[in-house]
Amino acid sequence: MGEPIDCREATERLQDYLKRELTPELAAEVQDHLIRCRGCFDHAEFEETLVQLLEARARRETCPGALRERICALLRAEADPS
Amino acid sequence: MAEPSTASVRSFDEEALPHLDALYRVALRLTGDPAQAEDLVQDTMLKAYRSWRQYRPGTNAKGWLLTILRNTFINSYRRRKLEPVAMDLEAIEPHALYRAVESADPEGSFFGRLVDEKVLEAVDALPPDFREVLVLSDIEGMRYAEIADTLQVPVGTVKSRLFRARRLLQAQLYAYAVEMGYIKPRNGKDG
Repeated sequence: MGEPIDCREATERLQDYLKRELTPELAAEVQDHLIRCRGCFDHAEFEETLVQLLEARARRETCPGALRERICALLRAEADPS
Repeated sequence: MAEPSTASVRSFDEEALPHLDALYRVALRLTGDPAQAEDLVQDTMLKAYRSWRQYRPGTNAKGWLLTILRNTFINSYRRRKLEPVAMDLEAIEPHALYRAVESADPEGSFFGRLVDEKVLEAVDALPPDFREVLVLSDIEGMRYAEIADTLQVPVGTVKSRLFRARRLLQAQLYAYAVEMGYIKPRNGKDG
C-alpha cells in the first residue's frame, strides 16, 4: 500500500469503493482512510444507506401476476401457432 | 425462418422468465407509467423469444433481455413521454443532503421515511441517460462492465453518469426534505 490518501482522494474513489469496483490495492487505501477519518466514514455510511433504502423501495415493485400469465400464454401461442 | 423448437421454448422459459420482475421494475422506471411498462415488458419478451437463437446459453440473460428492453423503449416508447426539465448540475452542492441529514436527524428515522415516500418520484424525474444507469446499478445491482455492455457506452461514462445521477437524486431529496420541513435549508457557508 502506498502513501495514505487524503479526504479528497477518498471521496473521489468512494462510489467505486462502495460498488466494489476498485482493485484490492486501491480499495485498501480507501478503507484505511475511512478507519482513520470519521467524516469520510459517516459520509460513506450515508451513501450506502441511501442506496440500500432505494433498492429496498424499488424492489417492492414486482411483475404483476396478470402480465406474467399473459406473457406465458403469448409464448405458448408463438411456440405452437396451430 | 425456422421457429424455436419446443426444447428451446423450455430453455427460454428457464432463462428469461426469472428476470420478469427486474424487467418490469426497469420498464416502470424508464416509462414512468405502469400500463406502458406492461406493454414494454410484453414486447420485450416476444422480441427476445423470436431472437432466442441469437442468445448464447449460459451468458448474461438478464443483460441480454435488458438490452432488448432498452432498445425497444428508445425506438417506440421514449417519444411518447415528455422529457423532464433538465436540472442545473452546477447548482447542486455535492454533500448538502448528507450534511443536513447528519445534523438534523442523527438517527436517520425521518430520512428513511422520506426516502420511502419520495425516492422513486425523484428517480423518475432524473434525465433519462442518468436514470437508466442509476436503475441498473443501484436497483438491479449490475456491475459497471455489464451496464456498459447493455447501454453500449464506455465504463467511464457509466461511472460518471452514476455519480451525477446520485448527486441529482440527493439534491431532489434535499429539496423535498426542506419543503416538508424535515430539515432547514443551510446557507452554503459551511456546507
